[in-house]
Amino acid sequence: MSWTSIIGAVEIGTSKVVVLVAEVSEVGSMNIIGRGQSTNIGMRKGSILDIESVSNCTHAAIMNAEKSAGRQIERVFLSMTGDHLWGFRNSGVTAINTHGNIVTEADIERAVENAKSKDLEPGEVYIQHIRIGFRLDGQLCDNPLGREGSQLEVAYFHVVGDEQILKEHISIINGFGLEVNDIVISSIASGSLLATDEEKRQGVLVVDIGKGTTDFVLYRGRRAVYTGVIPVGGDHITNDLALGLRTKQKLAEGLKKRAAKAMVTKDDREQLVSLIGDLTIGDSVFPLLSVNKITHARLEELFIILKNRLGSELSRQNLPAGVILTGGVSLTPLITELAEQILDVPVARGESPDWVRHEELRGPEYATVLGLLYNALHDAHRKPVQGKARRGWFGKMQEIFG
Amino acid sequence: MERSGPFSGQDPLMTGNIPDGGLRIKIVGVGGAGTNAVDRIKLEDLEQVHLAAIDTDSQTLASSPVEECLLIGREVTLGKSTGGSAEKGRLAADGSRDRIRQLFEGIDLVFLLAGLGGGTGSGAGPAVADLAVKSGALVIAFTPLPFKREGNTRMERAKTALEALQKTCHAVITLPNDVVFKQVDPSATVMEAFAHADKWIKLGVHSIWSMLFSTGLMNVDFSTLQAALSEPGGKTLFGTGYGKGESLVHAALEDLDRCPLLHLPESAFLKDTDQLIVNISGGPDLTMAMVDQVMDAISEKFNCRNSLVMGASINGSFYNQLRVTVMGTVRRVPSSKQFAPVPAASIAPNAPKPLPPTAGPVQTCLLDDSPQAAVQREGGQQDEFSFPNPESDRGFFDKSRRNLHEGIDLDIPTFVRRGIKIQRR
Repeated sequence: MSWTSIIGAVEIGTSKVVVLVAEVSEVGSMNIIGRGQSTNIGMRKGSILDIESVSNCTHAAIMNAEKSAGRQIERVFLSMTGDHLWGFRNSGVTAINTHGNIVTEADIERAVENAKSKDLEPGEVYIQHIRIGFRLDGQLCDNPLGREGSQLEVAYFHVVGDEQILKEHISIINGFGLEVNDIVISSIASGSLLATDEEKRQGVLVVDIGKGTTDFVLYRGRRAVYTGVIPVGGDHITNDLALGLRTKQKLAEGLKKRAAKAMVTKDDREQLVSLIGDLTIGDSVFPLLSVNKITHARLEELFIILKNRLGSELSRQNLPAGVILTGGVSLTPLITELAEQILDVPVARGESPDWVRHEELRGPEYATVLGLLYNALHDAHRKPVQGKARRGWFGKMQEIFG
Repeated sequence: MERSGPFSGQDPLMTGNIPDGGLRIKIVGVGGAGTNAVDRIKLEDLEQVHLAAIDTDSQTLASSPVEECLLIGREVTLGKSTGGSAEKGRLAADGSRDRIRQLFEGIDLVFLLAGLGGGTGSGAGPAVADLAVKSGALVIAFTPLPFKREGNTRMERAKTALEALQKTCHAVITLPNDVVFKQVDPSATVMEAFAHADKWIKLGVHSIWSMLFSTGLMNVDFSTLQAALSEPGGKTLFGTGYGKGESLVHAALEDLDRCPLLHLPESAFLKDTDQLIVNISGGPDLTMAMVDQVMDAISEKFNCRNSLVMGASINGSFYNQLRVTVMGTVRRVPSSKQFAPVPAASIAPNAPKPLPPTAGPVQTCLLDDSPQAAVQREGGQQDEFSFPNPESDRGFFDKSRRNLHEGIDLDIPTFVRRGIKIQRR
């Protein structure tokens, strides 16, 4: 009899907590069977401000998702964002000197251990190790197992986060009586979903502009080679509008969704836009030009920061597949034009792959959770190929709490 | 992490004739005024300090007693001076890049002396500073600014050059001639007057030098200085004061107030992360109470209780005397471009009113000031015309951590920082 397991993907985002429940079968197929979400008010810029409120929101979302699925979640995959995340490259080298210079699993393991053994600052913890590739005697290769050589090098991009913050997130899930199976950083979750294999091979940058943070991941040769978080997101546009037009956050948020554009156009000068939109008492009108100027300034700055962070990686030669934008802010009109103007590479909005059939799930707000599921499925599938089962999140957790 | 930092690129093999070990310091004068200042410093023997002069004028260099003289821009000016053209000065420096770079090989600390307003100082100065920074040295520039009387073009030129220097150097210490010469006795000869200006530069260099070299009770070493000045681009705060006799602490602090090099940043508050080095040198009779008194007064004056680094050194021949030197960089000072000045009282937390930038760079107003006014600046005048507290512009993000990116708080609306005018109706 074939087994199935029920997994839950949880994204504790600055705007809302989104939970998807999926049934994964032994053969590697997956059905999304439940969904739950709740509005999150306890977070700013991807960091938890009020843990109790975030915890309640998350529990409510998980409960809803389980209810709609009619099943209980067995394992949780959690996404992570925030400006405490950072990453660095480190590679491990080992000499091959047994079995007539044929690379064995033990050799690979030794190189991998070397790459992962860099000591971190106290209070920091590894969140994810992303393998960039192997190099056997200086030659790039996909799978060195069984090949001949004398020196094996493995390069990793390590993502590191703040231990305290990580503990908080895990304790929220544990508070519902669930274990966290694995943590995937948000940028990689949405990136792995939105970029096709072909794009990842050529080189592509996936930029997820969410409510509180902008997460990005750079792919090259099918691997994620660089990730980062900029603590600026849609909330900043809202706040800028509220301060600039002297109105409430809530009204500014509505105005942003209704009218804001990423670039200033010719017609903006004459047009007026009303604050609430239904001509009720207390409604007022603003020049559209002002709204767009504020939005433009913020987004332009964001792309400039992004450009500076990536440096020469961000060029037409290094990034043939260009940039994929996702996240709530990516729905802003004219944002792709603005990004193209500043980054000087082709820019497109991300689209979920065809296997996401449910129309509602194709929106950018689900890219991260869908990516989590996609990763979870991939992981479950990949394990036997890698030989020894890799130490999962549970092991890492023991490291943290032990 | 991957950033190599401003102090990389030192090649240990390229020390040349400079003795190994210890700190290598070079004082480099650029242009006429700079060379003159170096000449005068030459008379005082400082250990481990090397002197060099760079100019476009072969005449000034020929008469200079300095060991390393570099004539630049021979092909541009034919060995004559630039005649006040900053463009020529820049071209001259560009043409001699390699030779200038050689000057800085293996040097840890460079004092760059350049009189701004002329051709060589304003044109070549920033280029020389850039090369020095790139060679891995910590660069501290002392720049006399021209008299107001010398005319607007000169002043403009000095302003442009100053901005360029502030971008590259780790610290730029300005010395407005107008302020200096107000302190000079009216009956002094021209020679005496200029000697007085050079005296201040000498004093500045000397006080930093002695801070680094005199073995102290609490030592301020080169690394401390590096840390305090690690990022180029900030506004530099520097001042030194001397006192002797009965109430020497009081006298030293008053003298510090009068120091024409002391140039307070436009926003009166310093941030916790800005480091301010305070060095006290006194005789063997220096008491802890005196040290306390000085530190209290300084932390109150500069409003930065958390960020003081203190050094104290004893000089055997300094009985009954005291010198107080303060130095630091104010990094996050909102420039007039980023924050439009708004009267503080009109700022309601949720309603900032950005006005287009009005006041010109701060240096201009300093030039009209008497030393007394310079002393008062951080008092009364600052309060009337202070900059909005950045905290009040954060709105929704008030309670969250500051969102710093290269010294800028990203939570403050971009349009406010850029000074974009927003029409509401």
